[in-house]
Parts: sequence; C-alpha cells; structure tokens
Amino acid sequence: MSLQELEKIYYFIKRDVTSFSTYKTNMTLMVLGALFGALSYAFLGSNATMQSVLQEYHISFKDYLVIGVAFSTYIGQALTLVQATATPWQLEEVLVSPTRLSTFIIGSSAWGFIWSTVVVVIYLAVGSLAFGVVLSINLIGTLLVLALGISTLVGFSMIGAGILIVVKQGDPVTWTMGILTSVFGNVLYPPQVMPYPLSVVSYFVPQYYFFTCIRLMMIGRSLQAILPDILTLALMCAIILPLGYLIYSWCLKTARKNGTLSWF
Amino acid sequence: MNSGVAIEMHNLTKTFKSRDRYLEARSSFFARREREIVTAVDHLNLEIKSGELFGLLGPNGAGKTTLVKMLCTLLPPDEGSAVVSGFDVARQPMDVRRSIGALFSVGERGAFWRLSGYKNLEFFSAIYNVPRSRRHERIMEVLDLVGLKDKAFDRYQRFSGGMKRKLALARVLLPDTPILLLDEPTVGLDVISSRTLREFIKNDLSRKAGKTVFYTTHYVEEASQICDRIGILNRGRLVACDTPSAIRGIVKKGEVVEIRVQSITDPQIGAMKTMGGVVDLVSEVEDSVLGQRLLRLHLESIDLLPMVLDFVFKEKIRLIDLKREEPTLEDAFIELTGRGIGK
Repeated sequence: MSLQELEKIYYFIKRDVTSFSTYKTNMTLMVLGALFGALSYAFLGSNATMQSVLQEYHISFKDYLVIGVAFSTYIGQALTLVQATATPWQLEEVLVSPTRLSTFIIGSSAWGFIWSTVVVVIYLAVGSLAFGVVLSINLIGTLLVLALGISTLVGFSMIGAGILIVVKQGDPVTWTMGILTSVFGNVLYPPQVMPYPLSVVSYFVPQYYFFTCIRLMMIGRSLQAILPDILTLALMCAIILPLGYLIYSWCLKTARKNGTLSWF
Repeated sequence: MNSGVAIEMHNLTKTFKSRDRYLEARSSFFARREREIVTAVDHLNLEIKSGELFGLLGPNGAGKTTLVKMLCTLLPPDEGSAVVSGFDVARQPMDVRRSIGALFSVGERGAFWRLSGYKNLEFFSAIYNVPRSRRHERIMEVLDLVGLKDKAFDRYQRFSGGMKRKLALARVLLPDTPILLLDEPTVGLDVISSRTLREFIKNDLSRKAGKTVFYTTHYVEEASQICDRIGILNRGRLVACDTPSAIRGIVKKGEVVEIRVQSITDPQIGAMKTMGGVVDLVSEVEDSVLGQRLLRLHLESIDLLPMVLDFVFKEKIRLIDLKREEPTLEDAFIELTGRGIGK
C-alpha cells in the first residue's frame, strides 16, 4: 500500500476520532463499561452460586438461570424503550402533530413489549419442554411484578432518554442500570455470593427485587411470600416513574428551547 | 387576531447559545471552545393573510427554518409572540398543531423505510387525528393529489428522492388543515419534480383549495414564480416584504447589463468586479468548450457602460452579445442582503 493510501486511512481515522470525541459522555461510558464487563461472568462460574440458589429459592441452577435470562429481555426492553423513540426525526414529526407525549411514548414502546413477551414465552417453553425446567406460574403475581418492574425501569429509561436528548449520545443512566442489572440484579447469580459490601448494593437496585419476585411467582409461591420485596419495588416505582416523566419532559423542553432537538 | 389574518408575528425573537465554535483547528476532546450567541430571528413583525401564498426568501442561515419551527410550536420564542390561526404558539400549542401541516426540508427522514407509502400515511393519519372512517379515502385522495397513487403500495425504501418528497407533502396534507408551513419543499429535487411541486402548491393548494401557504426557500426564482408576496430575511431580520414586482423595483435605481463574451479569464472577471460603479457581477459558463460566458453586471449607472466596454476591448476579450436587462428578484436580493444566494 502506498504512502498516499496510508495517509487516506489516517484521515478516515482522524475524522472518526474527531467526531467520536465530541460525544464525551459516550466515550467515557464505553471505557468504563469495558472495565465492568467481566465481573458478572466471574461470579456466574463459581460453585457458591449453585449452592446459594438452592438455599434461597429451592430450585435448580438451570431453572434459576432460564427464568432470569427469559425475563431479562423485558428489563433490556424497558431500559431502552424511551431512548428508541428519541430519534430526532420521529420526535419532530410527532411534536408537530396533535399527539400527547405520553401517547407517543406508550405507542412507540408497545410493540417492543409485545415482542418481548413472545421471546419470554419461547424461552420458558423451550426451557420447560427441552430442558425440564419446572414452572408453576402464579399468573396474577407475575403480572403484578411485571407491571411494577417494567414501570420502574421505564422511569429510568425516561431519565436516560432525557439525558440522551440533551447530551446526544451515550446516556449514563441506561448504562448504569445495565451494569447494575448484570452485576447486582440477581439475573445470573444471587447477589449473596458476592463479597458482603458488594451484595449490599443489590438492595438499592430495583432489578434485584424484580428478579427475586418474578422467580418466586414462576415457581408458584403466593404473593405473601414476596410481600416485603414487592412493597419495596412498588415504593421504588412510585418514586422513579413520575420522576422519570418529569426529567424527560424537562430535557425535551430544554432541547426545544435551545433548538438542539434534531442535533444528533 | 385580525380577521382575515392567518399568521401574525410580533417582535418574534429566537436566540441560540452554542459552544460549537472551536478556537483552534484541532477539534479534539480537550480543544477550547467559544460560547457563541446567535440571534436566528430578530424582532420579526409580519402578517400573512388567509389564503395567501407567502414566500420567505433568505440565504442559508438567515433564520427561515428557525422561524418555521417557532410557528409550528417546535421551538419556543424567546421574545415576542406568534399567533397561528388565532392560537398563540407558546400558550396553545395543541390548537396550533391542529391548524397546521408542517413540512421540513428533511421531512422524508420521518418516514418509515420498511413500510409502503400507504402504510406510512395510515400511521400518520392516526397521529394527525384523521377520523378512522375517512382514513382510506383521504390517504388515496392525497396520494392522487401528489401523483403517487400508482406507487401507494410500494415500499418507501424503493422511492426516488422526488417520490419521498411528494410522500412527505402527502403526509402534511392528510389532516386537511387551513395553514401549510413548507420549509424548503423543493430542496434536493430535480428541475422537473421541483417545477411540478411548485405548480401543485400554487394551483392546487393555494388557488383551488384556498390554503394559506408559508413557503420558505433560498431559490429566488421559485419564490418569484409562485408567491403572492415575498419577505426577504437576512440574519434574522425582515429586510423587505412586498409583491415580487415591487421588490424587483427596489433595484430600479441601478442598471443591469448582460454581456456574452468569449476567452475571458478569471483574473479579468475579478478586475471587472472591482471597477468603480460595478455593484455586482455574476459570471456563468455557457459553453466550456468555446470558453463562452455570460456576465451579468449590475451597474450604478448606465453611463459606466463605456468604461466596462473599454476594459473588454483593451483586454482583447471577444464580445459576442450585449443587452440591457430589467433587474430580477435576485438582483434585489443581492442588494438587500449584501450577499449572493448561498453566501
């Protein structure tokens, strides 16, 4: 390859680095994300995890994992659903029409949840039919936990989307919640297997209560068995959901005022 | 609001603060940036009558899009007020949105690429509150109006640039609102599509349907061909507002001469531009093989013509043709804004 061609490649890289470096939040989050990435898998591989699962839930590790992974699609969906609607063109098109913001958010995310439900059903069906996962679903409890868990995370999603509208790329809230889900969320291993100072963090993370409750509902426990956990989740939901809506509305208003709504 | 007035603006102002100007060539993570305050729309007073086709003309960055965004409630004004169809844009945004159809210069990006043209419009007809019982009929009506009825069920991603623009316009027409805000609707269109769209806006939307059309463009000819009245916006300020012919009259005091020449060099054109009394000179290549160019000279007085011809003969430039021209809207634009289109 000639020097001239190499110089061209250099200018391609320079162009992308210059553009990338203008998204400072995103750059910082990507570097930090790489540092956290391996942590959850380290705990997943430990023997203590399997023993802890048996003690806490009285189910096999396989059942524990299938239920956790299946419902993590809902969490992923809930965490990113409002961001998905934050594309500038969609926002502008809807904001000049006689459509309420709440209608826009619910309407834009509805299909994502319907599809997530299909994915969860497939996960559980395959787990049950092919791998013998034992399920005895408390339907009312499951729906209640889902409603509270999803609403709480939608609150976080709105905060994240609001920040995204202002900073334009890489919102720290969604990133943090994603890390908290994988490390402290009770998805792949119970947080009790972590060193005590780390496991305490789980009690401040809504995902921990969501996964604890949903597992117990999927193995047929009564609502009474999860009462303290579901009340904590309900309290978190009552605070985070309206807060998220307020922050999202404020960020949207700020971007409109500054004329930066369509800058991405 | 005065009766018969569709859009009213009083001292309408919008200022942006930005930190996007780098103080050094190196625009890296740590590069220093300057806080810049830009007044995009500056104390604008304007009235658009009901049923009027009003053209807002201005160079890039004049504030046209900002103004349209304020009128359609996307941007809140910093000062002053705007009333659209009797509703204040800041206090009654939902009522304003029910009265307008807004098309942005990048309007086609709001469409869904994997859906057909029809399905796109079906979604937007719900968003724009078109009654369910009327939806199919209305969608087919607007598709017919913009000439896309035959392509209704083709996927949007297969549409050409012109078809995408037409579909964006069809979307704006769906709710059948009395006021249309069209921000540079012909940008990116070829000559034929652009002319068809302009004729459609003038004949069908303005004349037949009686809609109020607020039309922004930086193409002078476009505005002069279709608009009842034209406003010229420069750096956020309205520097002229009248009928196209009245605005042309603004430069009557000068003279415009067209000279067709052969074998003229760029330095020679540059020298002509700097001659005393030459207000402006626009050079256009007519035949690159023969080296033929058309020079459009705007002179302070016709008495200066001998001086120009003297230069032409002295420089041994071959003169093919010479004629005196009526000033165009573009001449007026240059005089009013102090810069050519796009500068």
